[in-house]
Amino acid sequence: MSDFTDDSRRSFDKLTIILIVLAALAFLSYSSYLFYLQLVRGSEYQSKAITISRQIERLPAQRGEIYDRNYNLPLVLNVDSFALVMVPGELPADMRDTVFIKLAALLDEPVDELRRKVPPSYYKLFQQIELLSSVDQSIITKIAERIDEFPGISWYSRPKRNYLESGSFSHVIGYVGEITRDELKVFYNRGYQSGDIIGKTGIERQYDSILRGTDGRQFNTVDVKGRSIESASRQVEPPLMGKNLMLTLDRNTQLLAEKALGDRIGSIVVLKPSNGEILALASYPSFNANDIVARGGNNIYAKLLEDPGTPLIHRAFQSSYPPASTYKTIMTAAILEEEAIGPEETILCTGEISYGDRVFRCWIRRPGHGRLNLAGGLAQSCDVYFWEVAKDKLGIERMVSYSREFGFGSLTNIDLPGEVPGFVPTPQWKERTFNEKWLGGDTLNMAIGQGYLLTSPLQIANMMAMVVNSGVIFKPHLLKEVRDPRDGSVLTKILPEVLVSSSISKETFKKTRENLRLVISAGTAQYPVNTKVVSVAGKTGTAEVGFADRWHSWFVGYGPYDAENIDDVIVVVAMIEAANPWEWWAPYASNLIFQGYFSGMNYEEAAKKLGLVGKTAPPAVRVE
Amino acid sequence: MGSIVKLFKEMDWSIVAAVILLLVIGVLFIYSSGITSTGELVSNEYLKQIIWASSGMLIMILAATFDLKRVKDHFLLIYILSVILLVFTFLFGKTVNGARSWLGIAGEYGIQPSELMKITTAMYLARYLDTSSHEPSSIKRFALSFSIIALPMLLILIQPDFGTALVFIPIYLFMAYAGGINRRYLVFFVLTGALTIVFTVMPLWQRLIADKQSFVLRVFYDKPYFYYTLGIFFTVMVLSFLGFRLFKKKYYYWAIYTTLLFLVSMSASELGHKLLKDYQIMRLVVFIDPSIDPLGSGWNILQSITAIGSGGFVGKGFLKGTQSHYRYLPQQSTDFIFSIISEEMGFLGGLLVFALFLYILVKLSLIIKTQHSITQASFVSGMFGIIFFHFIINAGMAMGVMPITGIPLLFLSYGGSSLWAICLGLGLCLGIGARKFES
Repeated sequence: MSDFTDDSRRSFDKLTIILIVLAALAFLSYSSYLFYLQLVRGSEYQSKAITISRQIERLPAQRGEIYDRNYNLPLVLNVDSFALVMVPGELPADMRDTVFIKLAALLDEPVDELRRKVPPSYYKLFQQIELLSSVDQSIITKIAERIDEFPGISWYSRPKRNYLESGSFSHVIGYVGEITRDELKVFYNRGYQSGDIIGKTGIERQYDSILRGTDGRQFNTVDVKGRSIESASRQVEPPLMGKNLMLTLDRNTQLLAEKALGDRIGSIVVLKPSNGEILALASYPSFNANDIVARGGNNIYAKLLEDPGTPLIHRAFQSSYPPASTYKTIMTAAILEEEAIGPEETILCTGEISYGDRVFRCWIRRPGHGRLNLAGGLAQSCDVYFWEVAKDKLGIERMVSYSREFGFGSLTNIDLPGEVPGFVPTPQWKERTFNEKWLGGDTLNMAIGQGYLLTSPLQIANMMAMVVNSGVIFKPHLLKEVRDPRDGSVLTKILPEVLVSSSISKETFKKTRENLRLVISAGTAQYPVNTKVVSVAGKTGTAEVGFADRWHSWFVGYGPYDAENIDDVIVVVAMIEAANPWEWWAPYASNLIFQGYFSGMNYEEAAKKLGLVGKTAPPAVRVE
Repeated sequence: MGSIVKLFKEMDWSIVAAVILLLVIGVLFIYSSGITSTGELVSNEYLKQIIWASSGMLIMILAATFDLKRVKDHFLLIYILSVILLVFTFLFGKTVNGARSWLGIAGEYGIQPSELMKITTAMYLARYLDTSSHEPSSIKRFALSFSIIALPMLLILIQPDFGTALVFIPIYLFMAYAGGINRRYLVFFVLTGALTIVFTVMPLWQRLIADKQSFVLRVFYDKPYFYYTLGIFFTVMVLSFLGFRLFKKKYYYWAIYTTLLFLVSMSASELGHKLLKDYQIMRLVVFIDPSIDPLGSGWNILQSITAIGSGGFVGKGFLKGTQSHYRYLPQQSTDFIFSIISEEMGFLGGLLVFALFLYILVKLSLIIKTQHSITQASFVSGMFGIIFFHFIINAGMAMGVMPITGIPLLFLSYGGSSLWAICLGLGLCLGIGARKFES
């Protein structure tokens, strides 16, 4: 098929001619078209170039509002505010200094700050550069009255975010800010532009594409100097408001959780196990999102970043801790499922055991709990019982496998950015990392949720959800519905999504639930979790972190224990860090939430009812 | 030394002169693009361009002294090294305008390995076409030669740098044609590409431009009709295949050819709908009718046409253009440099630019005439393809007859990477031309 002979002396004459013809054709056609544009239609374009040009004005879209699950009062609103912009190319060079100084005085901003926003390399630009994003109406009026003194300056309405609820809500909802250069590089291909407002954390960031809406445009016909031609028609493409979000969060429950936590460093999760909806997600210390979006918010943000209490971290899913005795829930399920020891078989606790060259002491110390079966071991949170079973019957491999089965060590895929997966240690991991053998002592530590094992409070909530659902964890989520901003009609409904489905038998989960109930009715949590409005089942936990008199305090529980409809059940996790003075607060906090949630009381009423007004449980000795 | 002197005597210096003239025009109008309406110079791009241009010329002369024939056995190695560099860039490169395509050298300066890849790919493809010229299976030769292009093209597409990846297509077509790849496959390839674009744009085009939506055309994109059509084409193809096997009639062959064409391009357009964002398809639609979106991407086209049209016969004079200095022609120094030249220098200036490109292209064709090996002829043909394609697309875009793709006008647009690459390629061509009597 080749045009060219297969001789060693090939000839490319034909190719040469084809290429020359191609080049000549291109030259001729383009020259003729250029001739047509410049000479035939030249005068038409000349008048167009002199008199008419079009200017685009951006009409920013209102960001969607965010509601709690009742969709009555918004958690976030937009309030009127203006963005002040400059078109540097329209500002004559000789007026530049005066305009900057006058503006600085009016806006009460340092002149250098304004100059930094409009560096000399921008002076030729005919694009709008944003000087300030939240300017009050009163200042805009002052500028408008003397607009001839401010060539190149204009403004447009840019609603400001007003977070009606702050505190623990700010963590979840997050806040917005101007898009940074780095973010722009990443999001450029998704239609973001410089100057856009973008969600920085929390729901605002996770669902930015739903909330942001579509900016509209207004086209003004202007002459070549940029003056509007009044007679010309104005074309407007109206902006499309962003969609409203309805969260699974319940305002009252969230407030209850926030207050139950008080000023203790820690976090609380309230979850509906039947579908993964999060009713409350509180963390302390927190911050006020309004401070960050206000003018000068950068300084506040920098302070928050430096704060040793890390208020920007949401401790319920962005931190992980040793789960301590709450882990005995998984141990119980594993023992039952594997029939590692008969549930009625007893083990003697004398307060300590010797293993290797170490003595491991049960939290109760000598003389110990006496003889305990599985139910008793869990109810009394007896360390010796679980140590004996772990080392002789269950073994580390199965403990690792059950931990993973309950979702430990993997992300819960909650719809918020920045989640940590926690950690499940394995003998292989220890050898690889420390070049040390996994010892029996490591297994004992893990059996009581200490050592290398790390979980987030949200994962602990999931663990309990699995027990409640007899083997299923639904993906925890905060978005319930996407709604139309005009008529509130439902656009998207988030359906429950299975995160983990376990093969552990239903019978095992039923037995585990009964044992967890004993913890409340006759075990360690009998005194602190004493609410009468609902029957609770759960587990306490007290994690050693190296202080002699302070521990991480955990409680995970669910109620009602005897629910007929699983939709009524909530899981509550409270986690109080050891950084606080010791008061064994986690079970009390959970008690308050169960009391408040099931009786419809607010925090103050619940605290009064439970006799916890003005705080607090007496500084108790260590209990697990 | 003697051989170098002889080489320089044989070299076609008129091509070098034409390139220098284009570079000078480029620097002048990059300077012009940096001037505001108030007459201030606010960009030093023209100074940087002087550095790019002089280093480019140096690369060109050095490349001319380099004898391709001596290293032709190492083309595969050079090709593989460039691919590795490309992968490295994708993993560790700098992100500019959403594409991870830059390797930083110092501070703001950097290079785009994808540009170098064009030349090294052409070198290896030229070599392959030569060594495989006795391959009896023409379809295998087509498939292998195309995969040489497809690998770097894909790597550049995922950066994602659509414009640069696109240039590989003309490189392939011009080289494969020169290398004697069966023309039926090349035509198939071109038609598939064209039909894919048509089918990709069709839904948006029907929605936005067509006065009345044509129901008949919906069979090409609207589900489930889309699947029915695919099914019909597939059935016809299978039947024709059986027919061809049994009766060996020519028209069965062409039936397979046509149905396969539709099958491939329809599937590819479906993929396009999945992968491309609406606004990317929109650019193609806007090119068909800029007034659909007069202030989005259509804005650039209308502004550019106005700038060119208002230039008239002799232009408004150097530094006197109104469109370019008052109003925002975007990317004046890169994508729309031709608009400024035409506005300020008029038809005469535009014609001069066209003539210089024509001259370089004709001279390249004449170099091919003197060659006897596929390696050299197809390499020069590939360089012809690059220059031709950049010229057609960029100048066409400025005049509003080609879609906006971000492909620069070689030698004139501001920027170093693509300039260096073409200087390297053109220099190698000059060397090939000057050594015409050696083989």
